[in-house]
Amino acid sequence: MKPLFNKILVANRSEIAIRVMNACRTLGIPSVAVYSDADSNSKHRYYADESVHIGASSPRESYLDIEKIINAAKQTGCDAIHPGYGFLAENPILAQRCEEEKLTFIGPSPDAIRLLGNKVASRVKMADAGIPLIPGMKDSSADINLYRETAQKAGYPVLIKAAAGGGGKGMRIVNSEDELGAALEAARREAKNAFDDDTVYLEKYIVNPRHIEFQVLADNHGNTIHVFEREGSIQRRHQKSIEETPSVALDDELRAKMGADAVKVAKTAGYRNAGTVEFLLDETGHYYFLEMNTRIQVEHPITEMVTGVDLVVEQIRIAAGLELSEQLHHLTQRGHAIECRIYAEDGENNFMPSTGKILFYSEPVGPGIRVDSGIVAGMDITIDYDPIMAKLIVHAPTRELAIKKMVDALNAYKILGVRTSKKFMIDCMLHPEFTAGRTYTNFIENHMSNREDESNTYRHLAVAAAAVASMTTNSKSTAQLSETGGATIPSPWEIIGAWQIGDSIHV
Amino acid sequence: MYNFEFIYDDETLTTAVEKQGETFRVTVGESTIELQPISENLFSTIIDGQRKVVAAVRSKDTCYIDIDSVLFELREPSDDIYGAGAGDAAGEKDKVFAPMPGKVVKLLVAVGDEVTEKQPMVIVEAMKMENTVLSKAKGTVKAVNFAAGDQVDTDTPIIELELEE
Repeated sequence: MKPLFNKILVANRSEIAIRVMNACRTLGIPSVAVYSDADSNSKHRYYADESVHIGASSPRESYLDIEKIINAAKQTGCDAIHPGYGFLAENPILAQRCEEEKLTFIGPSPDAIRLLGNKVASRVKMADAGIPLIPGMKDSSADINLYRETAQKAGYPVLIKAAAGGGGKGMRIVNSEDELGAALEAARREAKNAFDDDTVYLEKYIVNPRHIEFQVLADNHGNTIHVFEREGSIQRRHQKSIEETPSVALDDELRAKMGADAVKVAKTAGYRNAGTVEFLLDETGHYYFLEMNTRIQVEHPITEMVTGVDLVVEQIRIAAGLELSEQLHHLTQRGHAIECRIYAEDGENNFMPSTGKILFYSEPVGPGIRVDSGIVAGMDITIDYDPIMAKLIVHAPTRELAIKKMVDALNAYKILGVRTSKKFMIDCMLHPEFTAGRTYTNFIENHMSNREDESNTYRHLAVAAAAVASMTTNSKSTAQLSETGGATIPSPWEIIGAWQIGDSIHV
Repeated sequence: MYNFEFIYDDETLTTAVEKQGETFRVTVGESTIELQPISENLFSTIIDGQRKVVAAVRSKDTCYIDIDSVLFELREPSDDIYGAGAGDAAGEKDKVFAPMPGKVVKLLVAVGDEVTEKQPMVIVEAMKMENTVLSKAKGTVKAVNFAAGDQVDTDTPIIELELEE
């Protein structure tokens, strides 16, 4: 059988580039990597069948330079481009330029990207189509009656927010109508002081919200399906950290209803290829459309684990003009999957970015364990790019078993040289509120601020391991370390420190 | 018998390592710990009846350890100061350093300000993320060496304090 494309250029780096190259390989299509100066020894460059250098380390001079990407594709004889996530994935100009150059963009049309990229316009369009939005005022007003009416319609509690907003200033939660007048005045005063602008507006306050998103797939023949939900409520600085599927908050009825609305959103936008419709879900089962992401998401593997669908393969099939296969219309969710993002950041020190050389790297293995990684031992983690290094995904028959498997897999996942937030994520998942499924978007804020520091428990073992590592590094591993690109290796006598053979007389 | 010293929380811990067959017997203070090598950088040991796999590697004067996802960076006592995080390594509490090379986004204090310990001093952006650097001690701001928008490394203090006695 003739492959769907002659060759695909992957316009991305690190783990997602490798993920896409794997899908190409599955379909028997050669892949081409692009890489910047900083990535000239990266894993993704050597994972592809060919590679093209596209410029300096700064993303603007390489991964974000549309013409360089297009040229690299033409120069290597590619007939399609997969953008991954981030960088140019949601840039309508790349999709447009692909059309002009007769290259297939593996993603939605430029028009759909443009519409859904405009968060205000897309919400208006979705509201017209009958998709629920967070009820609230469209504009600010000086008239307290308008606030009262909106609050009544939306239902208390409501939230008064400063238009200039940020950091909780000028923000007031109002639980009943009696509080409204005073809260409005206070919010205006606070907003005036903080931002020199007393413009405020009112919307429904969502108590204990969850972030629920639906994966959708749409082909060019009018077929649009959803591939169930993912819950990504565990967030820090609006960045998802732990994702799971199925969500404990959805029963079959709610899942069917939200899924049908997700399909409706995609159809309303004239969407094709893979996309994700994001909702906020409140405690009473009401949900509100937030936005639609027009790319493959970081957390797509958990959907793949419970459905057995290879979403990137489906993206390529759709882009090649194929219809969604019959079996995609009869999918079920099997078991439970969780993903933890492994960032180069210090989970014990305010998630400070961590840089350095990966001195040791070992991935966990076992049934139901998947690692999507962009790193190898010897690689330098720099400040040039997004700090995501890898994703750890597990699949088990139940949520409880999936949590257990994830904790064990995180402990078995060894990355030395840069710091990660493995321990932080383990503490999240073992928290009674998490195991009980009470995963709201304020989880980290509410439950993770006073964590116990366990390092003291292990101090003697750590020192013992350090001593042994000093001995073994001293003997055979120095040569190996220098091979993997280690900095200048000092002589064994320099690195071993104070020691003496025979009696343990310390100098 | 090999002896090593490592710094843990400002305290110097002395160890003695003996190799018996393939097993390393390490004495740290009162305790003796046995580590069996699995590979070059992985060792197994038993804690409270449970077998744990410890990862350990050494680079220059620092050992990097992972025990049940708790991470350690242990240094040998040394007079030298290594490049990255030089100020932190030297424990100079009167200087505020960037935790990593990046760009100053915002200065939160000015010369003459009195600051408390853990007070936010400056926001530094690196890897697309903003990080707030806190004061390590109580004192008065003596000098501010960078402005918003400046690139900073980890060796030059961004802010210097006059410490309160």
